[in-house]
Amino acid sequence: MTLYRLVFIFMPAVICMAFILAPPAAILGDASRILYFHVPVAWVSVVAFIVSGIQSILFLVSENKRKEREFMAYNSAAAGMVFTILTVITGSIWAKLSWGSYWNWDPRETSIVVLMLIYIAYLSLYSSLKEHPNRGGISAVYLIIAMITMPFLVFIIPRVYLSLHPDTIINREGKIHLEAAMRITLFSSIVTFTLLYGYIYRLMNRISRLEIKAEEKHYDI
Amino acid sequence: MNMTKLNFAQRGWILQSRIFKNLKKDFLIEFRNRSAVNISFAFAGITTLSVSLACGGATLSPQIHSVLLWIIIFFSGMSGLSHIFIREEEERTSLFLALHSDPENVYLSKLIFNILLFTCITALVTPLYLFFMQVFPGYTVYFILTAAAGSLAISSITTILGAMVAKADSRGSLFTVISFPVMIPVLWISIQLTSDSLEGGAPPELRSLLFLLAFSGVIISVSYLAFKFIWTEQ
Repeated sequence: MTLYRLVFIFMPAVICMAFILAPPAAILGDASRILYFHVPVAWVSVVAFIVSGIQSILFLVSENKRKEREFMAYNSAAAGMVFTILTVITGSIWAKLSWGSYWNWDPRETSIVVLMLIYIAYLSLYSSLKEHPNRGGISAVYLIIAMITMPFLVFIIPRVYLSLHPDTIINREGKIHLEAAMRITLFSSIVTFTLLYGYIYRLMNRISRLEIKAEEKHYDI
Repeated sequence: MNMTKLNFAQRGWILQSRIFKNLKKDFLIEFRNRSAVNISFAFAGITTLSVSLACGGATLSPQIHSVLLWIIIFFSGMSGLSHIFIREEEERTSLFLALHSDPENVYLSKLIFNILLFTCITALVTPLYLFFMQVFPGYTVYFILTAAAGSLAISSITTILGAMVAKADSRGSLFTVISFPVMIPVLWISIQLTSDSLEGGAPPELRSLLFLLAFSGVIISVSYLAFKFIWTEQ
């Protein structure tokens, strides 16, 4: 938990770096500073999704800590959902500034909306299985199936169809087209937002553990 | 598989296999009580006619035609493909089936049933749409292959998701909600490929067709491995 508490130091530092240290981009000017928030939240939404998927796989293959793995997958999906909504909002603001409209159905925009829909679908499925004894297993399989779909959307479709979206960090050339100060700010921001996700995720897991303990105590009485 | 070329033991093995038995059972039940199949076909036919009636006479681009065609195919699938598992839950036969057959056999038999049903629905919807809208594909073979590959991908997704939905409350609406995000890559590629084959300009890309087949293969493989976690209570 101590590691994740670093977010309280890093977050104000990153905000200062984004607005003071990093220079404005050549064409977009100060509007380009949204990059330091949009890319990290998009990164965290994918990380949260992968964590949910891994917890789901562990739930299915391992007999240990099944209840814990179930709520860990759910909590990561719930946190990821919030970060995905932030990605969509920051992305559409950036689209308005650079392309002139909030939404263009660009392959990259579509892939993040699909990720959001997957989270919504998973949370809906999970809530509608409330009374079912195999709730964890069924929702885990759904997350795994959805996780298989994501590479097709995130990596294949945007490379097959033309996209207006700027080159991603993982691009064809393997190079980052940013100045040194911008690059440092961006990577610091990615690390900070990952820590923020880790902090929130661990808090959520602690709450879930306490809820389960309280429930068990209630049944014991 | 050509049954006449097989010897008695091989034919016996196929007939005895649980997959074949389950499939036979599903077909017998469906054709004894044809309401679900009839509703699926009626839904597909009525939707096609409604769209054709609403757009009749209008000149639409190949892109719009392919969007309309795949919307009809998608919702026809939504109306019928989860039924095969929901019926087992509603008639309370799922426990008996779980005791009688391995989860893998159950999955494969339901998958084959859904592929056959959905191929029939697509084979009904597509000619009806082309006839009423008076559109003819520039590349007929690609058009047919796209419809077939798209249908295979949709049936492979809906089979596993139908099994999940059958266990949940509020099944009807939930099925569409959970299917749509997983189906978007399929619909996206199918619409693009259908539009290209209707347009008849440059030949459609074979790699898009391969994408649909690869997608179906991946979904079927993972579903085959994961089905037991849905079907049997952990």
